[in-house]
Amino acid sequence: MTTRDIVFVVVGVITALSGLLAVSTRHVVHAALWLLVCLGSLAGCYIVLGQELVGIVQLLVYVGAIVVLVLFALMLTRAPIGPQPDIDAPVWQRVVAALLGAATTALVAAATLPVIGQQSVDLDTPVVTTQQIASAIFGTWVWPFELLSVLLLVALVGAFAVSRVVLARRSRS
Amino acid sequence: MSGLTWLEVVLRAVAVLAAFLVLPLLVGQTEHKVMAHMQGRLGPMYAGGFHGWAQLLADGIKFVQKEDVVPARADRSAFRLAPGVALVPYLVALAVIPLAPGVVGAKVDASALLVLAVIGVGIIGTLMAGWASANKYSLLGAMRAAAQLVSYELPMVLVVASVALAAGTLSLVGIAQAWTPWWLLWQLPGALVFFVAGLAELQRVPFDMPVADSEIVFGPYTEYTGLRFAFFLLAEYAGIVVMALLFAVLFLGGWAGPWAATVGWLWTLLKGLVLAVVVIWFRVSWPRLREDQLQRLAWVWLVPIALLQLAVTAVGVVMMR
Amino acid sequence: MTGNLDRPDPDDLERPVVDLSPPGGAPSKVKGGEPDGGRGGSGLSGILPGIVQGLATTARTMTRHTHTAEYPDVRPQLPPRSRGVIALLDENCTSCMLCARECPDWCIYIDSHKEELPPTTEGGRARQRNVLDRFAIDYSLCMYCGICVEVCPFDALFWSPEFEYAELDIHDLLHEKPRLSQWMATVPAPPALDPGSADPAEVTAAAKPARPARPVRGERAPGPGRPSRPPRADPQQTPPVPPADGDV
Repeated sequence: MTTRDIVFVVVGVITALSGLLAVSTRHVVHAALWLLVCLGSLAGCYIVLGQELVGIVQLLVYVGAIVVLVLFALMLTRAPIGPQPDIDAPVWQRVVAALLGAATTALVAAATLPVIGQQSVDLDTPVVTTQQIASAIFGTWVWPFELLSVLLLVALVGAFAVSRVVLARRSRS
Repeated sequence: MSGLTWLEVVLRAVAVLAAFLVLPLLVGQTEHKVMAHMQGRLGPMYAGGFHGWAQLLADGIKFVQKEDVVPARADRSAFRLAPGVALVPYLVALAVIPLAPGVVGAKVDASALLVLAVIGVGIIGTLMAGWASANKYSLLGAMRAAAQLVSYELPMVLVVASVALAAGTLSLVGIAQAWTPWWLLWQLPGALVFFVAGLAELQRVPFDMPVADSEIVFGPYTEYTGLRFAFFLLAEYAGIVVMALLFAVLFLGGWAGPWAATVGWLWTLLKGLVLAVVVIWFRVSWPRLREDQLQRLAWVWLVPIALLQLAVTAVGVVMMR
Repeated sequence: MTGNLDRPDPDDLERPVVDLSPPGGAPSKVKGGEPDGGRGGSGLSGILPGIVQGLATTARTMTRHTHTAEYPDVRPQLPPRSRGVIALLDENCTSCMLCARECPDWCIYIDSHKEELPPTTEGGRARQRNVLDRFAIDYSLCMYCGICVEVCPFDALFWSPEFEYAELDIHDLLHEKPRLSQWMATVPAPPALDPGSADPAEVTAAAKPARPARPVRGERAPGPGRPSRPPRADPQQTPPVPPADGDV
């Protein structure tokens, strides 16, 4: 075990535990905060694995998203402190969610566990640099990348249009 | 970082921590004195003997002695954790801002991006503080802070992207090395946008609605006492240091100046100090904006200017190639 | 403590904010930022001069002298009629109780007894005199209205600019005769009379031809008293010698 292994295991365990806590806690804002820990330590995982840029982008994108998430959590739930039973999910939803989660975990595990130890990358001399990621995104994968941004734009315009249509209908009636 | 010995890592960490503790106090003391003289006062004169230089140390000792009060209905864990969450990101940001090519806490490839990313984390501390206090003023202040951050993060990222585009690198060292005096004109709109957005992210006047005392007491920090409150204040001043140094490195060439090879780090600090004084100057001179004026400024002026700057930079880069 | 603060600095009064506006611009944009009254247009054209003016004002103030009164180190220059504390000249007090009765919040305490003076002449009548036993002012009640000073018929009470008599306990603010008399030393001389004013009553009285002498007995020894009035501002108005050049 090298230092890197130990750090990776620690960060990975934190990621997994905080992820579990994020879905199992009964406090709305706590869930968002645990999600923050989870995503932050995931960024830590990337950095331990030698991918600084991916880790930083993870931080930049998801932390901003968490702020918005917390804002929505606060505005939609009257910001209770402590558990609030009337916005809890019913038991059957929890069971279904747990089953789906377990199934996804099993699927991913089935796909990844067999390949452990087959290939190794030397992390001390990073193979993939920022330039390579950039040229990959804006060269090879530029069309999927652009398509994704168009998709997000469509979603944005759609949300705007839906809210406008609803508002217009409400004002007409 | 793999090329460093453990001793060097420890030394660098200690140096960054020392800078983190000293520079915000320096800015705070400057604020005390500059603000006082701008208002026709003298400011602190007693602590330490000479013109009150030790006033902030005395304040710190006072804060340590105060009782640490947690409101009865607060969310205790989030309430206690919030000051740390607000403070640590600026420590990380300060660690990667270079004062000179070799004088930097940690060498990171995409340091400009990292600074932007961690500055955004700091707002989570404010949000946690405001929500966990179980106080409507705190909650309102936290919501204002978050809304402000969401609005001003975008123009800020856009103008940093513009500078990174002009320099062809995401590394702060590389950006400062690529700087030429001609950038002062070329990147001027971007610099203005960055400065305004930085003020807004720091919740400084004229964008201090989150802590507007006449409306919501002290916003998210209303319920805090003692050392935890001091941490929030330290985070604010560390934020000024980070923003000022970042501005100096991105738009003023950092260590560019006479004898840059030897006293370059001094140039960076000097430029940062001048910018911090400007921040203080604005605080003394201007009233507070209204919440809707703030949003309007961000979306109607800053975002279009930032986009325009990005386009101008792109054209310039292509033309000069 | 800050005797100077309410006096406006003449420098500040002389330089209005208006001098910042550009030479050709409207000189009335003092408020800055509010495009009111149909002047200055709207939007940026109204706001920009305002925010620049704000910056200029603070920058200019920084180059000026500060107004801070560094009190414990530098004594304040108090105006001569400051109402700091009320001092008692107990030789003049006749225990007439006017001050105690006029005091709106009854903060003056006076005790006295009558003393019989033997007749000054053979077969004369014995006279009675009031002897002041106690004179105390409770400064925790006093509201510094000065009615007692005004009403005293024998000039026994004076305003002193002394102000450093704070106490840790409010009960200690009840000051007795010795303390009140100590403050007499800090009472400033009355201001010089205006040129052309009538002579003060005591001067007129002293200038009158002396009455036929009467034997005076039981006269008080001259006490410390209050400081005498400074000489008149314009000595020409009361020429001690006949006019030299024939001017009136």
